[in-house]
Parts: sequence; C-alpha cells; structure tokens
Amino acid sequence: MENNGGSVVAMIGKDCVAIASDLRLGNQAVGIASNFDKVFPVNDKLYYGLPGLATDVYTLKEHLRFRVNMYRMKEEREITPKTFTHLVSSTLYEKRFGPFFIEPVVAGLPTPTELDPHPKPFISTMDTIGCVTTPKDFAVAGTAADKLYGVAEGLWEPDLEPEDLFETVSQTLLNAVDRDALSGWGAVVHIITHDKVITRTLRARMD
Amino acid sequence: MSGPGSGGAYSFSLTTFSPSGKLVQIEHALAAVSGGTTSLGIKATNGIVLATEKKSPSLLIDPSALEKVAPICPNIGFVYSGMGPDFRILVAKARKIAQAYWKVYGEYPPTKVLVQEVAGVMQKATQSGGVRPYGISLLIAGWDSHRNQSLWQIDPSGSYWAWKASAIGKNMVNAKTFLEKRYNDELSLEDAIHTALLTLKEGFEGQMTEQTIEIGVITVPTPEQMEEKSGERLPPTFRKLSENEVRDYLSL
Amino acid sequence: MNSVLTQLQPSAPHQNRLEEQDELDRTDAASWGSMAGFGNLDRTGGVQGMSIPRVSDPTSFLDMHTDNMSSNPDAKIKIAHGTTTLAFKFQGGVIVAVDSRATAGSYVASGTVKKVIEINKFLLGTMAGGAADCQYWETYLGMQCRLYELRNKERISVAAASKILSNIVYQYKGMGLSMGTMVCGWDKTGPCIFYVDSDGQRLKGDLFSVGSGSTFAYGVLDQGYRWDLTDEEAQELGRRSIIAAGHRDAYSGNTCNLYHVKENGWDFIGNYDVNELWYEYEGKKKAERESQNAAAAAGASPMAVEP
Repeated sequence: MENNGGSVVAMIGKDCVAIASDLRLGNQAVGIASNFDKVFPVNDKLYYGLPGLATDVYTLKEHLRFRVNMYRMKEEREITPKTFTHLVSSTLYEKRFGPFFIEPVVAGLPTPTELDPHPKPFISTMDTIGCVTTPKDFAVAGTAADKLYGVAEGLWEPDLEPEDLFETVSQTLLNAVDRDALSGWGAVVHIITHDKVITRTLRARMD
Repeated sequence: MSGPGSGGAYSFSLTTFSPSGKLVQIEHALAAVSGGTTSLGIKATNGIVLATEKKSPSLLIDPSALEKVAPICPNIGFVYSGMGPDFRILVAKARKIAQAYWKVYGEYPPTKVLVQEVAGVMQKATQSGGVRPYGISLLIAGWDSHRNQSLWQIDPSGSYWAWKASAIGKNMVNAKTFLEKRYNDELSLEDAIHTALLTLKEGFEGQMTEQTIEIGVITVPTPEQMEEKSGERLPPTFRKLSENEVRDYLSL
Repeated sequence: MNSVLTQLQPSAPHQNRLEEQDELDRTDAASWGSMAGFGNLDRTGGVQGMSIPRVSDPTSFLDMHTDNMSSNPDAKIKIAHGTTTLAFKFQGGVIVAVDSRATAGSYVASGTVKKVIEINKFLLGTMAGGAADCQYWETYLGMQCRLYELRNKERISVAAASKILSNIVYQYKGMGLSMGTMVCGWDKTGPCIFYVDSDGQRLKGDLFSVGSGSTFAYGVLDQGYRWDLTDEEAQELGRRSIIAAGHRDAYSGNTCNLYHVKENGWDFIGNYDVNELWYEYEGKKKAERESQNAAAAAGASPMAVEP
C-alpha cells in the first residue's frame, strides 16, 4: 500500500453512486506519475477502484477483465454489482497466502428487473484477501483511508442528487488526500446514474 | 495388426466413428434411454412441472428409497430416463458444479449455464478414451432472474435443447404427440401438473399411485419472496412434491 | 548547563544523578569555549538538566520507542522527517528557502510549520529532521549567541555560532538526536553558510539543500545557480527549487518560506503556496510551448535569434 500510495472512495446517492480516486503513482516518497488511474469500468452501470500496489492494479484489472468477459459470453448478460463483488472477493481469496496488495472498492447501479424494479444503488469494499463489506453510505480504501473516513463521516448525507453527490465525494477526496503524503497529485470522479456516467478530473493540490 | 485379443478394425476404441459417420456407442446409449421409464416436463406461465413414472422391478422393493427426480440447487431440478446409476453420477457432478459456481459468484447458476456445464460433462464421455457415454437423457427445469423458468433436455451425445414441453424414455413418441395436442402458451402450473399426469397415464403399465409417480415443480417467486433478509436463505424455487401432494393431484 | 552535558555522556552512571549534579555544576564551566570563565547557566534560567531514561542503556531504550534510527519504523513516537530546506550564497547575500510540511508517517500533521528559525537579526537556522530537536537547540543557540555578544561586545561569527551547535549535538551523538540544519548569516567575512547535522558533521559551503526533498531542490538549484544572480533572480531560484521539491517529494510541500540575508540582517521575503505557484509555473510552461508551436507553424524557427 505504502509503496505506490493512492486512495479510492465510493458513495451512495439517490438513484446514483459515485466512485473517485486520486491520480498519484509514487515510488515511496517520490511522485512518479500524476495520471495513474485506479478506477475502471466494468460496464456503464458498474465501476471499481483498485488502490494499492501498482503492479497488482494492472494484474488484477486484466484478470477481472478476462473473468467478466467470460461471464458475459457464457451467461449472455451483464454482471451485477453484487455478483461482481463476489467474483473479486473469490479471486482475492484464491491468493490467500500470497495476496494481491489491493483493497478493491466496487460501485454500481443494479439494472431493474421484473422482480426488483427499483434496485438500490450498491457499493462494497474488501480487504486484500477478499473479506467483503457492503456499506449503506460510503466506502473508502487506500493510504488515505483513515482520513477519508473522517471527512466522509462529516460530509455524507442520505439521498444526495447526482450533482450534490459529486460535490460531496469531491470535497471528501480532496480534503482527505491533502492530509496524506502518499495520495493526491490529481483526482478523478465518476458519478453513475441510470442514464449516464459523469466523469470529471479535479484540479487538486500537486504537492 | 491390432493388439492381442482384438476384434479387428472396429475396436480401436468406443469413440471411433463408423464408416457411415455415426458414433455407434451414442446410438446404443440412446437405445438405453428409450428402454427407460417415461419422464416428461411441461413449462407453464408460472412454473414448470417434471414428472416421471417410477417402476419397481420387484414387489419386495421399498419404493420410497427410489428417487428419480433430484434437486440440484435451490433453483434447478433434474429428472431422467435411462440408467439409474449413471444418473446419480451426473447428479453428484451437477450439484458440485452448482456449488462451485456459488462459491465464486455468491449465487446459484442460471439454468442455461448449468445445462451447458452438464452437457459438457456428457459430451466428454463421447470423446475420451476408456469411457462409455452416459446411458441417460435428462430433463432439467430451472428458474433464474435472467431467463425466468426454462426447461431443457440433454441427450447422451451432449446435445441440449430448450423445450416448452418434452418427454423422454420408453413412451416418448406417444407422449410428445399427446403433449403437442394438449400444450398451449397460457397453461398454468396447476393445469400443467394435470396435463403431465394425463400424459403419463397414456401407456402407463399398472396403477398410478403416489408410490409410482414422482413430481418436481418450479414455482416462479414473487418479489417479496426474493427480498433478502439477513440470516435467511431465499426460498427454493424448485421442490419435489410430497407423496401426499401427489396423491391429491391423482385423486382430482 | 555544563553539568547536563557531562551527565549525558554515555559512560556516566545515572543512578546518583542528583548527588552528582552539585559537584559537577562547580567544576567544568570551562568546557564551553564560548562561555569560558562565566560560570554556569543553571542559576540564570538556562537548561536545567536533560532527564535521561533510568535504564542501563538509554540509547537503545530510545531506539525502541522512536522511529528515528530507522531500525524500528513502527515505533509509537514518530519524529518528523520529511522536509526540503535550502540555502545558497550569491553576490547579493544568502537565500534561505524552506517548505512547511510536517509529517508523522504518511500523515500530514501540519502544513504551516516554520522551518526557518530566526536565531537573531543576523542569523537564521533551518530545520530538518526532528522538529523539536531543531527548534530547541537552535533557540538555545540563539541564547548562547546573545551571551557571546554581551561578553565580547561584538556579534558572533557564523562559523563560531555553528560550532556551538555542532559541539552540542556531538555531545549527544548516538542518543537519537536528529537534525540537519544550515546556519546562515552575515558576519565580518560577509555572507556565510554552515551545514551542521546530528552526526556531528559541520561543513562550510556556498550551496546546500537538506531533507527528503533535497535531491529535487538540488536539481533546480544547480541548473539555475550563478554567483552573479540578481536579488530577484536568486529569490526566484530558491522559491522555484522548493516548489519543485514540494511537488515531487511526498513529505515536502504546502507552503514555501523565503528569507534573504543581507549585510544589515535578514529579510523575510514571503510565504508562498506551493500548489498555487506550481499551477502558475505549469501555466507559464504551457503558454510558452503554445507560442513556440504557433511560431513554428508560422514558419519561424523556434531557435531563431531575435534581431
């Protein structure tokens, strides 16, 4: 975690979810890149963030891409946020005794079905070996996790509309990473709604 | 030219094509299926019924120990015609596949996915060395949130189809003709169960009782039933009817 | 004060400290070159006596509880490490520039730390390593310098002041003090910089940078440094070096404090937000590139010499 730095936060809003990350890639104290994405799409209703060791970010991302593509073809449907969380979790536990140094965060909107026409927005997070928690408010991970908890605890409120959720998640991330030496150097925010995904890069502190 | 004790050019292995392009062993396996007791399945608007005739070779056998309809996971059930021992092996494998899927995805497989996996297992037995094909056909009924209820058949070759209604085993030709006449798209589960029993009655040898009939049903769940409550499992969508329930249907 | 130092020598027995103290107070005031013959400071409110853990080996005891010696990074007491400080001499005096971030582990404990210690009107000390160590001993150094002035009726030289500090830290060598400081000032010899660290090293030089961000600062500093820099150019060079280090180094940043030491003492030039300046520099670079591209597109060589 402390090798490359980086943090991710996800939040639930009213019929929307947000997931955001910083853009720093470091080598210990030295900042190497300010364009290192840690949040990836599965589809336009489901995103996930992989803060942690950068080499494992790539490996796990590609592995999950493979698993999701196989799923899509075999099952002829899109994977749901909940099922994807299980997939990530079991993938991580496969490496129980030599783990990926990653603490994933998943955020998505389940597609409405006949049986469940109004599914709730979904977020989840895991430790490095896949122990899942599914909070009803927000999820944080990475080197600024403890700081993110503090700020999110203060700023989050239920049923935020997309634009208000954007403001909340952005302020949470920005202020938390300013207190973390290993996170920062730019930030990117995704707001997932039923009809579109809003992606914005933030003007963040660069020190 | 062939090894010692060999019978000539057609005994390389059980999985060798005949000159006419057929795998004779598969034909023989289908013959074994046709010798088995009749099983059938009907898809209804709100569920599926699987029904089969259960025949004891001797009066002295306790029929309650015989099982031809098998639950695989909470949303999928099997019934077969053909060789009982082969069925039990496939049931064990299918249950294992379903649990393996649950372990990865935290939910049970959609019906089609399980059908494909089991069909794969059956196909393997037509192409591997040292094995023989499974001597059974399967009818598979399942429910999942993606496709709702669906009814499938797998043959010893590993081929599979989705049906609105189908029959396998000894009386399948007559039974299918009967089903074609009786089937319509507005059938309810209750109607389907009765149709299933009527179909079995055609060409049934002996008395139809709760001991000689086995029934499994898929019931489409309501949204309330699918609501997750912590510490509780979702109710199964596939279940076998009890002897009492079967008796009630037979008496109507 | 003298008693303290004697007492702290690693070989000294610590069990009977109080009994020993009176005796020691009288004996060795002369061990301080700078205050020879002037009695000890205890009665005048100086350092009363540094308490030492009552264990057989205080050095390894301290090691166990601090992350200072890097042998125990998980220790409970974290000492601030990350810093960028720099100072250089040039035609117009001495430029001193520092960042203002204090970290405990990866936690940014403060972004408004004053890492330049104003020893007196003519002397500045920079702070890298243990914040408390630097602050305490450099303040103490200020006191010693004032006493020197009173005794000798002239200002202390930078060389002498820095030597007081290096002598102090040498007394504590191996006990976990952590400082990397530049004592900067203007004396009879002109502008002067001495680098002093807790290993006991003391170096005179024209240009120094100290701290985790020093390598980045050196990069900018070395390519822009000339003796005949104007005041404005020199100040800008110091500022730009700190911004570069604050950008790259995780443990440096927040703001830059800039000082200029001249013949009549030091001036505080200003406090600058590292982030705002970084974006300003980036904006300028971008504008420059664009105008070059525009010139190239117009057919003019970007290398062309203006008439």
